[in-house]
Amino acid sequence: MGPLAVELLGKTLKNPIMNASGTLGYGIEIEPLWNIETLGAYVTKGLSDKPHHGNKTPRVWEERYGMINSIGLQNVGVEHFFSHYFPFFVEKNLPVIVNFFGFTEDEYVYCARKIPSHDLIVALEMNLSCPNIKKGGISFGKDAPAVHNIVRAVRETTPIPVIAKLTPEVKNIVEIARAAYEGGADGLTLINTMPAAIIDTKRRNMPLKGGLSGPILKPIALRAVYECYKEIPIPIIGAGGIMNVEDALAFLMAGARAIQVGTATFVDPFTMPKIIASLDSWLKENACAGISAITGIAHD
Amino acid sequence: MDDIPGKIIDNSATIPGYHRLTVRLEKPIGKVVPGQFVMLKIPDREIFLRRPFSVYDARDTKLTILYRIVGKGTDALSRAQKQAPVMVLGPLGHGFTIPDLGVCIVIAGGIGYAGVRLLLRNLGEKAILFLGIGGVNELPLISDLKGIEVVTATLDGSYGYHGTVVSLFREHFGSYRTKDPTIFACGPKGMIISLKEFLEPHKVPCQVSIEERMACGLGLCFGCVAETKDEINPYKRVCKEGPVFELWDLSL
Repeated sequence: MGPLAVELLGKTLKNPIMNASGTLGYGIEIEPLWNIETLGAYVTKGLSDKPHHGNKTPRVWEERYGMINSIGLQNVGVEHFFSHYFPFFVEKNLPVIVNFFGFTEDEYVYCARKIPSHDLIVALEMNLSCPNIKKGGISFGKDAPAVHNIVRAVRETTPIPVIAKLTPEVKNIVEIARAAYEGGADGLTLINTMPAAIIDTKRRNMPLKGGLSGPILKPIALRAVYECYKEIPIPIIGAGGIMNVEDALAFLMAGARAIQVGTATFVDPFTMPKIIASLDSWLKENACAGISAITGIAHD
Repeated sequence: MDDIPGKIIDNSATIPGYHRLTVRLEKPIGKVVPGQFVMLKIPDREIFLRRPFSVYDARDTKLTILYRIVGKGTDALSRAQKQAPVMVLGPLGHGFTIPDLGVCIVIAGGIGYAGVRLLLRNLGEKAILFLGIGGVNELPLISDLKGIEVVTATLDGSYGYHGTVVSLFREHFGSYRTKDPTIFACGPKGMIISLKEFLEPHKVPCQVSIEERMACGLGLCFGCVAETKDEINPYKRVCKEGPVFELWDLSL
């Protein structure tokens, strides 16, 4: 393994760059442009116990320096993913992080149970931004006891490491991160999209509300990574508006072990391979032996 | 498929509100199936995402699109100057399938013409175009179309048939029924719906190119979907499984 390699939850990734869930399809779609095994790991589209059709359009809307999406978690279901898409990653020998969600605690548990242990599966990434339908639709991720309980329930279900992906729409993200940690989370992904809306002034309506992503989110995500790194002793994957190598370095220095690129891929589909190449050059220019040494350096 | 840098060599208004953009690419875009599109990076810092445009023409390193100014992105694009740098990702999506036999009827409404222009060029005199436009002032949009029979409808009655293009087509359909017709259509949603209502009893093959807000253009984000009759997986990606769909597969 080269200087870009990082250790994450007992596995070695050849670099710290991965896609954010739901921004690289089922993985195969990017193959006409570049080889997916360029990545440190592939993060699956959010999977659920049963398939989901997703929302009606419009599902995406541009905002200045970002976008809002409301895809509605469309996915083929966890079983179909493992029978149809997972073999592709085995063939590529590419580590996979399995992102998943549910609308009840049971749905999370049923889904997690169906995810097989495999050498290439680094972790399960829990999307905690989902509305809890038994609690009036308030998202799991906004309530520390709910986060603690659901992480523990999943943790007890599977031998695979569990990463909690947190929403930034909370009073104190460190408190939520601690609840995930105490519930048994092995890692954190910080942060998910931020709830937001669009108003169309010509039509005088609200065509879309959903999750805000893109560079507009970067400073908020950096703060979450910085604060949690100080307090919570588990690895952090940084995500939120990373557009280039400079942004990637900022997240690593704030305390991220690895980073996820999402919306930037829509602007330039080669963003991730470019960041990987630039990180490699950066290490050489800065006479730095390995990228892991950068993690959290802003705290020293 | 690749992401190719290019420079604008022409971006002039064909008629007010409609521009034809020609880009000189650093390398040829390769074979484009009619109905395929490109994702264009607009040279304006305020425009964050790329925008999808049907390929109007592609020859060697020259790529042309025809667009109507409808929002922030196309407005910014219309103000881009010659020599401005762009990025062109493509060709993308699933295009039209041309049958071996039978008559090819192409129906275009307004800027929908941009989505069938390359198809018309490939079909040549095998095709007949039913064109729907607002008025005679929009006729210059098709001034570069040669050797194809065109039947025109205008909403204001200033040229050709007075009414919608689907009403016009309805009057002519009888003469094509026995000629094994395939219909190709691109236009506003209302046009596609009324075309479907008319064709329903006839069950002729019909391919439609549809539009949706897109983010990636590559099938990565599932942002641009069309509802189909597939019960297991109703929402298909316009950028990947489309933009050309069989009309009878869509839930409109």
